[in-house]
Amino acid sequence: GSAQGSGAMGGSASLIPRDLLGEYQELTFLSKQEILLAYKRFSELLPKEERENACSTRVPKSQILTLPELRANPFQQRICHVFSTSETEDDSMSFEDFLDMLSVFSDSATSDIKSYYAFRIFDFDNDGILDRKDLEQLVNCLTGQGEGSRLSSEEMEQLIQNILEESDIDKDGTINLAEFQHVVSRSPDF
Amino acid sequence: LCFSHGFDAEEDLVGKLASMSTNERIKAIQKMPETMRKKREIRNKVLKEITKKSRHRGAQCTQGAAVSFRRFGNTLSEYFQQLQPWHKTLKIIGAEFGTSVLSYFVFLKWLLNLNIFSFLINFGFITIPQFLAAEPNNLSFTGLELFTGAGYFQQTVLYYGFYTNATISKVENGPSYNMQLAYIFTVGIYFVISFLILLFSMARLFSRNFVNSQTFSVNASKLLSTWDFNITNEKAVKLQQKNLLIQIKEGLTEVNKEVRNFSVKERVGHIAAHLLAWVVSLATAVAACAGVYFLSINNLELFMKGYSNDLQRQTAMLVLPVIVSLLNTLIPFFFSWLGHLEKFQTPGQHIYVTIIRNIILKISIVGILCYYWLNIVATSESQCWETLVGQDIYRLVLVDFIFCLLGSFFGEFLRRIIGTTVCMSLGLPEFDIGRNVLDLIYAQTLTWIGILFSPLLPGIQMIAFLIVFFVKKVSLMRNCQPPRKVWRTAQMTTSFIFLLFCPSFLGVLCVIGVTVWRLKPSEECGPFRGLPSMYASVDEWMQILESYTVSKWVVWIYRNLISSELFFFILSTVVL
Repeated sequence: GSAQGSGAMGGSASLIPRDLLGEYQELTFLSKQEILLAYKRFSELLPKEERENACSTRVPKSQILTLPELRANPFQQRICHVFSTSETEDDSMSFEDFLDMLSVFSDSATSDIKSYYAFRIFDFDNDGILDRKDLEQLVNCLTGQGEGSRLSSEEMEQLIQNILEESDIDKDGTINLAEFQHVVSRSPDF
Repeated sequence: LCFSHGFDAEEDLVGKLASMSTNERIKAIQKMPETMRKKREIRNKVLKEITKKSRHRGAQCTQGAAVSFRRFGNTLSEYFQQLQPWHKTLKIIGAEFGTSVLSYFVFLKWLLNLNIFSFLINFGFITIPQFLAAEPNNLSFTGLELFTGAGYFQQTVLYYGFYTNATISKVENGPSYNMQLAYIFTVGIYFVISFLILLFSMARLFSRNFVNSQTFSVNASKLLSTWDFNITNEKAVKLQQKNLLIQIKEGLTEVNKEVRNFSVKERVGHIAAHLLAWVVSLATAVAACAGVYFLSINNLELFMKGYSNDLQRQTAMLVLPVIVSLLNTLIPFFFSWLGHLEKFQTPGQHIYVTIIRNIILKISIVGILCYYWLNIVATSESQCWETLVGQDIYRLVLVDFIFCLLGSFFGEFLRRIIGTTVCMSLGLPEFDIGRNVLDLIYAQTLTWIGILFSPLLPGIQMIAFLIVFFVKKVSLMRNCQPPRKVWRTAQMTTSFIFLLFCPSFLGVLCVIGVTVWRLKPSEECGPFRGLPSMYASVDEWMQILESYTVSKWVVWIYRNLISSELFFFILSTVVL
């Protein structure tokens, strides 16, 4: 799905140098309009004094999560973590991280790259495979938490069993990237 | 491309990328699942590699030209994207209501484009030349014509009867324009192009979406892929979560349920209930058709005998379309109520069965109308039967459009008012995708049938679709809630196009085929007056062509391919 927002394209063309703009177009799946729009949205997250340097500033996670597209998304924390290249592990995002994120969610991204990043988003413990705990957390995210609307532990067990039966090809009890991509490629709705 | 780390692997990667063409290289770098910093590093290394190589060959200026050419191409394609109307509206609909409701609007936009295309073709090739050879219109214009299509409109380019059968030429001994051939070839080529467009769309969608059909049970790919990331509205997200939970629970209990051994009596009871429901629905459809048939025959008799008052006559003509639209609107409610009485195994089955019954109803009504037009009206003693048929279709299209708007008003607006004030338990209505799509397909079928008899009908349908788009969009945003079921969108889009193609378009081709080949055009009006059949004009033209040696090969193709049944047999096997 796409994470584009609405809003007019402003005169921010002068704020990104042209060769940098061209470079972004070549490195991501976004068009020029989309990059300029992203720049506008990104700089709005910064306080006024820092907007001149938007290309090189990092925005803290709490600010990113105020974006309407991410605010209601149950995977918001994981998305920020996966796309952030912050060296201090505080999940802050620079403009380039932001573009990376938009590029993967755009309509023109290939399904391979989408499934790769989906795998990383669903991998809650960052160990490179989806084990039972990851799947359990995934189901909880998808179905919402609280309000007494969870699955019982037997139902959860059975659901995870079903999922593993279907997707775990080498029967090691976990789903790795290749198995995940195989499962997802069979569904045209992804 | 291998993404393993390590210096050697990276060297290999850079080498491979450097040897690709520019476009391929850009695509390959875009596809890499790395951070932008890493991609930029690799890209710079690759560019260094390339300049190293090309320094030997001094091909730098061509590279610069290639870069600017590509940038220009990119800008152009972006401007094209901006030109697409409703791009933003569709994104908003997708964000609030999900991709299944979005697919209805995308389908509507597709049909609108198709109608714009047919209107431009007809207008350009048939109507504009006719304007040059137009006869003066002596009738007076009263406002009622907009609804009945008769009266003043009868002598305009709206209908078949107005078109001349002459060869139009403005300049003496100048180039001439044969109206007969133009008419039949324009309509024919338009249908061939539509056929190809539909065929290709179907093939593309089928190959993408039906590679393997999954059952509705809970499985991994369904779970991992059904999260509709498009939705950004918080309430909609919570709704989607709740629905997914319910579906998972239902799916698990289904799998858990032991196969209940129904007693023989219960099973027989279920089958009997299904059979009875089918008999009742088919009987309803047959009764509706019989009613429409007798009503239209009655109408024709009264029309021929003539009313005392012209105004009375015109309003009486509206009775048939109103009855048809009423049947089309009310009987589906009856069908879905019937479906509630039967006990289906899954709710999905209920929906499919109801949709199939609605399709049968609509096909039979259109079928009986075509039968009436081709067998009764065409052989009646009216002066210009094609114009009569054109007027009938015009009225049907118009009344159907009005009923669509009314349906939106009652079904969504009033229902919301009732659901939020009077009867709180009902809540907001949902957007009924199945019913709306069938309405669109029905309207398009009528338009296709009417093209031969009323060349400007696609223009009218185009305006109607535009208005429907806006009304449905506003109604959706204000009155409806996001759908509760998680529809399988890709399969749905494919089914829509398939439904459009199979009963609808092929049926229309049959009707047009019978009209062109078998029916005798009226003596006194239209481009084919006096000929034994519309197709005879092509025959005559072939005979003329035979006398020129240059075009003998055209005649040969015609004689041996198009006239022979074997060709069509081979063609249909290839298509299938």
